[in-house]
Amino acid sequence: MSTGVAEPKEEEREKQKQVKSPAYEREELLNGCQAVAQAVRLADVDVIAAYPIRPYTEVMDAISKIIADGELDAEYIVADSEHSQFEIVKHASSVNARAFAGSSGTGWMYGFEALVVTASDRLPPVFLVGNRALDDPGAFGVEHNDAMALRDMGWLLVWVTTPQEALEHILLAYRIAEDKRVRMPCAVAMDGAFLTHSQHMVKIPSKSAVKQFLPPYDLAERRMHPDNPISVAPQVNEDWVMELRRQNWEAAKRARGVIKEAYEEFNGVFGERYTTPYFEEFMTDDAKVVLIGLGQVSAAGRTAARRLRAKGQKVGYITLRWFRPFPTHELRESLKRFHAVGVIDRDFAHGSVDDGGILLHEIRSLLYPVEKRPVVTNYITGLGGRDISIADCEKMFTLTQESVGRTEMNGQVTWIGLRE
Amino acid sequence: MIKTVEINYRGIFQKNLAKKIGSDVVIIASKMGRVGMSNGRYSDSPERNGIPCKYFAFVTHDLAEEELEAEAGAKLDIDKADVSVVLDDTMCKGVEPWGWHGVRAINEKVIEGGAMVVVSKRDHADLLRFVPKKPYDWRLGIIEGEASLAGLWVNKDDFTHERALGAIAGVDPDVIGIEAVEAYLNAKSPKQPERAQAARDAYEEVRKTTKTIKANQGVEWKHELPVLPRWQDFGEGIVVPAVKREFQLGPLGQSRNEQFKRGTTKTQRPVVRFDLCTKCTLCWLECPDECFDQTKEGHYDVAYEYCVGCGKCAQICPVDECIVMVDELQFENEHSPWKAYEKDKKRYVEWAEEKKSRGRYIHPFITGTGLEHVTGKRVPMREREPHAKGA
Repeated sequence: MSTGVAEPKEEEREKQKQVKSPAYEREELLNGCQAVAQAVRLADVDVIAAYPIRPYTEVMDAISKIIADGELDAEYIVADSEHSQFEIVKHASSVNARAFAGSSGTGWMYGFEALVVTASDRLPPVFLVGNRALDDPGAFGVEHNDAMALRDMGWLLVWVTTPQEALEHILLAYRIAEDKRVRMPCAVAMDGAFLTHSQHMVKIPSKSAVKQFLPPYDLAERRMHPDNPISVAPQVNEDWVMELRRQNWEAAKRARGVIKEAYEEFNGVFGERYTTPYFEEFMTDDAKVVLIGLGQVSAAGRTAARRLRAKGQKVGYITLRWFRPFPTHELRESLKRFHAVGVIDRDFAHGSVDDGGILLHEIRSLLYPVEKRPVVTNYITGLGGRDISIADCEKMFTLTQESVGRTEMNGQVTWIGLRE
Repeated sequence: MIKTVEINYRGIFQKNLAKKIGSDVVIIASKMGRVGMSNGRYSDSPERNGIPCKYFAFVTHDLAEEELEAEAGAKLDIDKADVSVVLDDTMCKGVEPWGWHGVRAINEKVIEGGAMVVVSKRDHADLLRFVPKKPYDWRLGIIEGEASLAGLWVNKDDFTHERALGAIAGVDPDVIGIEAVEAYLNAKSPKQPERAQAARDAYEEVRKTTKTIKANQGVEWKHELPVLPRWQDFGEGIVVPAVKREFQLGPLGQSRNEQFKRGTTKTQRPVVRFDLCTKCTLCWLECPDECFDQTKEGHYDVAYEYCVGCGKCAQICPVDECIVMVDELQFENEHSPWKAYEKDKKRYVEWAEEKKSRGRYIHPFITGTGLEHVTGKRVPMREREPHAKGA
């Protein structure tokens, strides 16, 4: 099968081998936003559309500085709103320009009309969502509902847990989204404040290593160009839609394979950075009970697991990375090994089944076909940027351990960190 | 073990400076083989003029980065500070951040044996007229200087950044060491040895000036902390009852928001000579924070708790010497100046002149070339050159 990746010529490959430069060339103190901007530079993005909203704003600030410093040659277009911002990158993407945009919270929601058509047009720009609670009130803190709104729209959606991962996942996102077999837009979600505005030492890849990993964007037969006269997304009537959806579904299915491939290639260039593509297990080998969550809560979750292990408790933590496409098969096989699964939701699905979170519903539905199902409980926590401490995670482990063998606790939703 | 450094700064003016200090603490610590991270208090609004904000740096010798992240990175505020840097000494009177935290003591987070380093031209006794007491011993260090605006690109670098790094090394070498600070600064700007020298000087200075403050030394803290309600206890739909509109003549005669006063934003306050006042109403009309209260006599009292020290009243007042901005650390309370004037007019005038003589804010006029400046003088309206017609 064609990979859509241009095979490097023999002499180029030889040249690449001779280059002794390390995959990471230097270390800098960067927050999540600045790390993403570095990735945009390294991916040699052609078109950036910007419109400010905290916490995403610092991404566009950092990119504009990189351009002003002469480190990136790109069109930087300040849009009049998120809606225009997302339309700009969609159109840029259709003429074979690698494009980047991003937003947060209600700004992200404002651009939704443009976001949904980007998916049905099967174009692959990459977006950064600095997760922010939806207004009102105008709190800046993290809540995952903004990015989660994409979940049924035909997008790729991935969460990162550190600024380092944020940088690397922008590169991975382009690699996966632009693949001929996929060609879907990709949103990289990053917890507002705790990741976007927290500074860590970040290893910055060398340009040559990125070039080795990330092939140029090539829309080939779908590239809009005078030499390739095509029309994108003309009006079609009702008798076309189901077939279009079916195509999108097929692309999402293929994306699962491409994701796996991309991580393998990434590891090949940058060293063994990622053990598994879709999610990462921690101390799960002989665990009876696990917590699973998205994003930065993994630091507290894994630390809590480590501490409870020291006390002899058989607990583990799973960081779910890819939410769309959902790693159905792999995660089902993983989770069915445990007696109880505690699902952490930094979101809330108002009025849904059992009044739980979005991730609860996915995980419970995932495990329904399993014969000996683990008990699944749910923790709504950290909404709007409320701290999730190590102690909170220990509490969630304790509650999950208590649910072992108690099927009546299936779907029990507990709010952690609420003033009540 | 995690070492926490807190940098107290004033919104916008010192935002970049504070971030630079916090960032460099982490970079220097990691060059020493330690693990660090830094962030700002996310609920702050560092773009707002003068509002007290915090930047943090965390350093550990023995924890993995992920554990540091779990302990320190996932929190909106800190629980304790091993070192607290105060970039503007007027914040010693207390800090009320933009997020609803109430007016907080400047040394609230300083742990037993921990250190607070203040950039100030005052001595320990002078600062302790404002800094609250703690139930344990702690340390107070001073690096001599004025509140720096060097973080704004239009302002000249005054080495406060380097001096703060040296001072942090001076009070707690477990955060960063002075040799590492010097090596870092020299490597960063090899042609400016004065940067590393500034850090070294501040290091020596703070080691000399740091004094142990005994338990119960300092002032009684009078501000209550707000208690956030349970979900059951406040109105639905984010509806907040308005402050009841009331107006009476006399001090504090207008109704104001009790929950957010903003008074700790000021670094200077207006001193009013009621005896010179012509009752022209301009200060009352122009004050952006409605801090002036009309009295029965037609004068204007000042509600200092609500004054942010913007200086607009002093600019607009047409009477020479009637309203003058004076350094905030000249004042120990927010009492009504009008009441003091009414009680003893002569004494009040003497008091006001004494304050003005010690802490008057002078805004120099920059002359045509910009290379020299002369001290400004308020010129009475009648002596000013008339405006050209149509101008």
